[in-house]
Amino acid sequence: MISRSEIKSYLSKEPLFDDMTCSLKATTRQPAAMIKETRKIIELARRFNKEVIEPYALELDRTMQKDPDYLPWEFVKKANEWGFFTLWIPKIFGGHGYNIPSLSYFMEETGSACLGLSNLICVHYLAVSTIFASWNLSLISKLCRLVAQGEKTGVPCLLSTAITEPGAGTDVEEVELVDRGKVACSATKVEGGYLINGSKVFISSGHVSQWHMVICYTDLKKPSENMIILAVETGSKGFSFGRVEHKMGVKGCPASELIFDNCFVPDDLVLLSRDHTGKQKRGVKETCGQILDYVLASSRAGVSAWGAGAARGAYETALDFALTTEVNGKTLANHEWAQSMLAEMYKNVCIARLTYIETNYANGMYGLFKTIQMKPLFYYFKYMPMILLDKFAPMILNLASTTWLFRKIQLDWQSDPEFHRTAGWGSLAKFTGTDMGMKNCQMALEIMGQSGLRQDRRAEKILRDSKLLQIFEGTNQLNRLNLFKCLVAKNNPMIKVFEKE
Amino acid sequence: MLSEKETTIIALEEDVVEFTETKPTPPAPKKEAKSVDVKDVKIAAKKTAPRTSKKELTMLAKAASEFAKKMLAPNREENDKYPFGPFFEDALEKAFGVDFFHIILPEDMNGMNQGMSALSVTLDNICQEDSSLGGILFTNAAAQELMIQAGSKAELERICSKETVRDFLIALPVFNNPSEVKHLAQAKKTGDAYTLSGSLEYMVLGDLAGQAIIPASIAGSTRYSYFLVDLKDKGISKSEPILSLGLHACPAVDLELNHVKATLIGQEGKGSDYFEKMADRLHVAAASMALGVMKGSFKEAFDYAKKREQGGHEIINWSEVKMILSNMAIKISNAEMIIEKACKAVDTLEAKWETRSRAAALHIQDMACDLTTDGIQLLGGVGYMKDFGQEKRFRDAKHIQALLGITPIKKITFIENMI
Ligand SMILES: Cc1cc2nc3c(=O)[nH]c(=O)nc-3n(C[C@H](O)[C@H](O)[C@H](O)COP(=O)(O)OP(=O)(O)OC[C@H]3O[C@@H](n4cnc5c(N)ncnc54)[C@H](O)[C@@H]3O)c2cc1C
Repeated sequence: MISRSEIKSYLSKEPLFDDMTCSLKATTRQPAAMIKETRKIIELARRFNKEVIEPYALELDRTMQKDPDYLPWEFVKKANEWGFFTLWIPKIFGGHGYNIPSLSYFMEETGSACLGLSNLICVHYLAVSTIFASWNLSLISKLCRLVAQGEKTGVPCLLSTAITEPGAGTDVEEVELVDRGKVACSATKVEGGYLINGSKVFISSGHVSQWHMVICYTDLKKPSENMIILAVETGSKGFSFGRVEHKMGVKGCPASELIFDNCFVPDDLVLLSRDHTGKQKRGVKETCGQILDYVLASSRAGVSAWGAGAARGAYETALDFALTTEVNGKTLANHEWAQSMLAEMYKNVCIARLTYIETNYANGMYGLFKTIQMKPLFYYFKYMPMILLDKFAPMILNLASTTWLFRKIQLDWQSDPEFHRTAGWGSLAKFTGTDMGMKNCQMALEIMGQSGLRQDRRAEKILRDSKLLQIFEGTNQLNRLNLFKCLVAKNNPMIKVFEKE
Repeated sequence: MLSEKETTIIALEEDVVEFTETKPTPPAPKKEAKSVDVKDVKIAAKKTAPRTSKKELTMLAKAASEFAKKMLAPNREENDKYPFGPFFEDALEKAFGVDFFHIILPEDMNGMNQGMSALSVTLDNICQEDSSLGGILFTNAAAQELMIQAGSKAELERICSKETVRDFLIALPVFNNPSEVKHLAQAKKTGDAYTLSGSLEYMVLGDLAGQAIIPASIAGSTRYSYFLVDLKDKGISKSEPILSLGLHACPAVDLELNHVKATLIGQEGKGSDYFEKMADRLHVAAASMALGVMKGSFKEAFDYAKKREQGGHEIINWSEVKMILSNMAIKISNAEMIIEKACKAVDTLEAKWETRSRAAALHIQDMACDLTTDGIQLLGGVGYMKDFGQEKRFRDAKHIQALLGITPIKKITFIENMI
């Protein structure tokens, strides 16, 4: 008989049993109702693709090539009418409360039709993740309810996340690097709030967002320990928009420069500061890193889903071409080499999908969605009438003790292996999914030859769009290193990642 | 004997063509294009002998490089806006004036009577800065070559005597091999005369050139033929310039033909033979375009990596960045060797020269697609923006890969030619 300690020792060898079995564990622990919700989301996304995105995507891309400063407000309004900006906000915060992993399926579906327009809808949830990772429940409630109100009034209230600066892109995504970086956007404490100075660049949806979650630093000499997240409203004094970037693709979603010139943000719009991170068990720097990784582990799964979407869009376009084109006197889809290439492309879609699904399982079991996906809470919120939630939720959420409790559960009770697992899988999904997207786009253009070059046949647009996915949410290079840090180097003290070379 | 001035040009040239130069050109600042010294370029071009020697190739490279730096680089972003911005008429005319369009033409057609080495070296240097002009040069050279292969000398001579560049240019659907995907017009023969009807996709230079070569099938024949048509013919209607992935200023249009008067090129039913013969030679030129794009992308990335700081030092100090740059440089070095060898094989009709030309293109075009995606990656977010040339090079590389037909089929044809 093998002893318990032997079993434990075998299972604690790398790769850890828990690192390998996120989905296996999740199948029994996660609420079954998530399946029904996901079916509904996929159906909704496909309908939206057919009715709204497909007739509009190429035309918008063309318009934006002609006039790169054009802002697609009409689409923002349409997405707002369809309820997309609140679908994944928990009911307790005024949203429709769909499970977060279903957002990734939505991103794959809509991304397969147009990455730009899908970005415009879904990058809003990067900001939702950012505010959630702060676990400042009263402010989460306030901001989410404003989004919900925007849906009711027909005046969209989108959120953006701003961390990248002109001098620091990779550096601000990684606490190990940020102290060596050229960060310049500061928040200085003044009576009743903070003054922000500096600028942020490449902020997705910036120009069309009403609120911006600005991640900056109260001490530029030691940013890793002085991270602060502030909510800034469009129109605030001292805050303005700079240029809209002229990008190669993803034209449906503007990338904006945000400029802060003594922009005052009152204390009640501070989502998280050193005052809070300092109180958590890991210490300030580690907690800042943990919060960043909370956001990134979930948003990177989303980017992987876009990778799957790009891979699928390219695959479907190439398949359509192969079914309708004769080559050397025979339908292209009947050439063996083409069948083999299309099979490879199909596989690439599946690989991308599997990585974001597994990462979402990890996040649901050990990361950002852990609490809201616990069966009792999930079902409680799902079936509790909205009127009651609206009435009682703010009272509970505004209690400082509720925020304290959630931070305890989400931040302090997350073990190091859980933290590494979610962050590592997030990076793995991000670079795998997006590489699959690019691979399929390249293959689609190869299969389609001259037809693939034309904007009106879609394939070239998907290629242009897809390239972005390898850059944002940390370049794929950074994500490879982060995977190494989280899943390989974690148990090996002699390995140093991001050491100066 | 070369003059002293020409020798100096050659000496300078070493720095221009060598991609590993220690001080790569910084990203081109936005400024007005200075007028290029046309006389110098012409001297360098004209001096090349029929069998182009290494020195003379170097001179041509230098001329093309200087032309590209002065006439193309400063307005690269502006020129790329076509069809939503103005067309670079000035650069096109200057390129015509310095005989870049005459490289492969025989001397009696006012040409330079050069081989693929000369065309390739020119395309390489032009495409380092902006491959749209390279695309125009390539398309026109492919059309000329097709006519040469078909023995349509009189027609070609007539075209080559034209005074203006637009009248001189010949449009060709250069991204499609008509034997593979049958984008063909229908030809009708009445007596000795032909008329063409039907539609034709993606006619490159269709809205620029004076005439076009059109593949068409004659009723009752299974094989297609090539015809020359005057693009001003009333029976031709053209689409708006097609919005495409890359080579924006090398535009294409869709054509509708309605009883258009046409002249047969070569013999009936021989279209495929002419295309394949032309493609045998021109593949290596397409490879050179890809090489030019690779060099441009590498230079930009190398330069940026030496300036951009992340993590407390220039990013070139991260060994991951070094690895990517190194892979790019290795690809370029190999591509240079392959192209040199393939050009020589084509020009001297070495055994298996056709194979070498095609293999060079298939391999180097592949490499260019890989390299230019890394070229964007090394610039991070700014690589995705229109402000730097990287995103354009990425698009252009993929566009260039599609020259002369569908890539996987080109591969199948390659092996079939060996069976
Ligand atoms: C269209 C678009 C939308 C975006 N949206 C947002 C948004 O909504 N919010 C936001 O905050 N940001 C956004 N970004 C910014 C994005 O996250 C950054 O561009 C990305 O993190 C890379 O940073 P960078 O551009 O500064 O590149 P750099 O950090 O300058 O990187 C340049 C190169 O150096 C490499 N490199 C850098 N450091 C290292 C290292 N330590 N080791 C090895 N290689 C290294 C990188 O991999 C890259 O190849 C967006 C960017 C784009 C292009």
